[in-house]
Amino acid sequence: MKEKTDVLQGTLALMVLKTLDVLGPLHGYGVARRIEQISGDLLTVNQGTLYPVLLKLEQEGSIASEWGASENNRKARFYRLTRDGRKRLQAETRGWEQTAAIIGRFFAVKVEDLK
Amino acid sequence: MSGPEMRTLRRFFKRLVAWANTQQDEERLRAEIEEHLALQTAENLRAGLSPVEARRQAVLKFGAVEAMREGYRDQRGLPFMEASIQDTRHALRRLRNAPAFTITTVLTLALGIGATTSIFTLVHAVLLKSLAVANPGQLYRLGKEVHCCVFSGYDQGKEFSIVSYDLYKYFRDNTKGFAELAAFQAGGGSLFGVKRSSGGEATRSYRGEFVSGNYFAMFGVNAFAGRMLSASDDQPGAQPVTVMSHRLWQQKYGSEPSVIGSVFNFNGKPFTVVGIAPPGFFGDTLVDSPPDFFLPLAAEPLVQGDNTLLHSPNAHWLDLIGRIRPGETSASIEAQMRVELRQWLLSHWGEMDNNARANLPRQTLYLSPGGAGITSMRERYEHWLHILILVSGFVLLIVCANVANLLLVRGMQRRQQTSLSMALGARPSRLVRQVLTESILLSLLGGAAGLAIAFAGTRLILHFAFPAVSGMPGIPISASPSLPVLLFAFCVSLITGVAFGIAPAWIAARVDPMEALRGANRSTARTGSLPRKALVVVQTALSLVLLSAAGLLTAALRNLENQNFGFDQDRRIVVNIEPQVASYRAEQLSSIYRRVRDSMSGMPGVAEVALCSYSPLKGDSWGDGVFVDGHPAPGPKEDNSSSFERVTAGYFHVIGTPIVKGRAISEQDTETSQHVAVINEAFAKKFFKNENPIGKHFGRSGIGASRQYEIVGIAKDARYLTYNLGQPIGPFFFLPEPQHDVFSNPEFTKGDLGTHFLGDIVVAMKPGGSLSEANVRRAIAAVDPNIPVILVRSLRDQIASQFTQQRLIARLTSFFGILSLVLASIGLYGVTAYNAGRRTGEIGVRMALGANRWRCSGADTPRRVRADSLWIIGWIAIDVRRRAIPGQSALRHESI
Repeated sequence: MKEKTDVLQGTLALMVLKTLDVLGPLHGYGVARRIEQISGDLLTVNQGTLYPVLLKLEQEGSIASEWGASENNRKARFYRLTRDGRKRLQAETRGWEQTAAIIGRFFAVKVEDLK
Repeated sequence: MSGPEMRTLRRFFKRLVAWANTQQDEERLRAEIEEHLALQTAENLRAGLSPVEARRQAVLKFGAVEAMREGYRDQRGLPFMEASIQDTRHALRRLRNAPAFTITTVLTLALGIGATTSIFTLVHAVLLKSLAVANPGQLYRLGKEVHCCVFSGYDQGKEFSIVSYDLYKYFRDNTKGFAELAAFQAGGGSLFGVKRSSGGEATRSYRGEFVSGNYFAMFGVNAFAGRMLSASDDQPGAQPVTVMSHRLWQQKYGSEPSVIGSVFNFNGKPFTVVGIAPPGFFGDTLVDSPPDFFLPLAAEPLVQGDNTLLHSPNAHWLDLIGRIRPGETSASIEAQMRVELRQWLLSHWGEMDNNARANLPRQTLYLSPGGAGITSMRERYEHWLHILILVSGFVLLIVCANVANLLLVRGMQRRQQTSLSMALGARPSRLVRQVLTESILLSLLGGAAGLAIAFAGTRLILHFAFPAVSGMPGIPISASPSLPVLLFAFCVSLITGVAFGIAPAWIAARVDPMEALRGANRSTARTGSLPRKALVVVQTALSLVLLSAAGLLTAALRNLENQNFGFDQDRRIVVNIEPQVASYRAEQLSSIYRRVRDSMSGMPGVAEVALCSYSPLKGDSWGDGVFVDGHPAPGPKEDNSSSFERVTAGYFHVIGTPIVKGRAISEQDTETSQHVAVINEAFAKKFFKNENPIGKHFGRSGIGASRQYEIVGIAKDARYLTYNLGQPIGPFFFLPEPQHDVFSNPEFTKGDLGTHFLGDIVVAMKPGGSLSEANVRRAIAAVDPNIPVILVRSLRDQIASQFTQQRLIARLTSFFGILSLVLASIGLYGVTAYNAGRRTGEIGVRMALGANRWRCSGADTPRRVRADSLWIIGWIAIDVRRRAIPGQSALRHESI
């Protein structure tokens, strides 16, 4: 059995933003599916927890939503990235990359490097 | 604004909007969940699951819907506000359902909060408030302590705090750090006989204060009508003008515009009213009768005649307040003024006596913040107010305990409901919040009702503490709540609400959900009875502390009032007059007094009449240094001061003070006879130790002139001064009014003329005799209608008036003590009744098993009573040991 990782606090929002950035407007289910696929099923997300995150992002103006029709022709709420959201995504991506780089260096370090 | 803050703000507004459309959002979420599950089910179907299993897996994958909904709701609206509104509604409903409880609680709270707020109104007005002037923060006054009213010589002990006109001018012209430095008469002015020159109204006495021309400019106070005094009004030879208070203008003259420009006679000298001061301005000092007229300093010699102080450089009678220039510090100005003081003193070296010269290097001065004006009230009533704050704080505590108790009982009745809510998943924090909301709501209601009580209470206290004298302005403290007072009441209510709500809330949160299933009211465990008992014990203990404080204060007051004052209080009437007002020359006075005595002695019922400078316990006296003939000169640090009085013949007999040795002052002491003095026992003890003082001589102006008076008699010690009432009586000497002293320094001779103006007529009545005020006025008017009669009252009343404040504190403390005891009894009753009520079931079972009625009612009571009384007795023991409660020590300390 594959070991599953809990979602780090706050990273779910970033994943949502990135998903919407790459795939364009999606409904909630779509976002949930993509996150699962991209993380290669390594991540367990109770799909339901996504909705409060979506709401928060919308309130903050990073994403917007409107009603549309889903694949099976039912009414569904579609989310898309706003300009603000794109800017925020860029800023947070940079932040993550920096953090990852720093942590990466710490892992790469060997005893002889420090002598 | 940067990204994250902007986002937070935007989110807040969205939430606010969302909060308004709750219904819509719920619907949207439902639709989204439904859609999500449908899509997932479809996919599971495609993966080959059966329809039922596909749906089940979809729901499993989605997670707990209710928990997610809860999270969603928390994100969406403003859950805190929503919950608060819900709680408030719920609490209101619950309070409406229990009107008896609500009314009792609100009334109890109103008493506590009202008492505290009304004391705070006084504290705010007396201790905290600044004058109604521009930028009070820039004002600094000379002196750390308040001194009054005239200080002579060149030596002021610890600090130079009041100054002469000459010294004021020196400071004003040399201290550049002050934008304006103003001087004004210390002690809030003096009384004048005032008469409007037109209109034929009678002469009345009003308080007027001499102020420098820049006084109003320094305060930044503009005229309500007309104009204020200016520097040009304060020049020698300037047209005499005056500014009237708004109060007098409104109350006496109905805001009549023609008052401005009309002429008023002050002690017979005409002054033109040029303007009206603004309504909130009561001068530089908060006193119980603020001045109604402001007169320029330059006009002082004109009005005061022989009493003038203006041109004596050694007569210090002015307080100083200055507005410092922006950027200047009070410390640098203070340092500069110390140098100036030294220079000024050195320039008067020739006029100083040896002691003043020796003390010169130690003379210093201090500046202190002057935004509140001259804070004589503050110093006088600080202890008084501290006691009251303490007492009202105690009452508030008791009220809190009492209401907490009632709420606890209520909480018990609600146990089942609470445990049911818990069992259904209510969070403890929410339950706590519900109880707290209820208690804060109660306390706010109580606070609102308390404001009304505070208003009435403040008026009552002001009325008793500062009894109005007819025609005089009352103390300028308004009983109606100001913004700070409202704020205070609100905060106190809030804090009270939390304070008495916290225990019931905490207990509510500790309810076991299992109880709901078991049936909460069937358990016999007396859960939560300890906190309630503890509360009652605390209440009782606190109210006992209050009551014992009240008892001590009352006893202390009785001791003060009933001490042996050394004179007769019965059948003595004191008539206050203001002879200065009638503008006599000092030489005329003896014959005027003779005529007053004759005129009054002729009235039916009157036994004897005499006059004196200040009758006993009126609150004032003259004072001077004593130099005994044949004794070495006192050293610079030796205290050779004594109080003195001028009296007419027959005075000691009239006042009832026995002469223990020698003779009293009599008709044989005339203008031309040997100058004599009668001393009191304390004087004899202080200056003569084991010698016989009779026949010895002493003087008032240095060892060179020590043969000024011959001592002819020793009077028994009698209390004249109204401060240091707890201390032994100080030295005193009495001089015959007709004997005018001549000093080597003509300034002293002139200054001493003021002591010949006697302010009090003491009348001894025959047994059973009575005297009406109208008759007194008629008898004095027969001598001269221009002598204003200020007040006619019995000597007993005069003494009682010295204890007004103490009596008020004692009464208020007793009132608060009784109130709190009543509250504590209600609390005790509540707890006992509740406990009995809770055990009805148990008692029923016992009786069914054969216990008789008596045993049942007794089974509980003795044990409870014993336990509770043990607690309470323990508390009293602690209380008694702490009997050095601040009340008594403060009273002793203050001993007005």
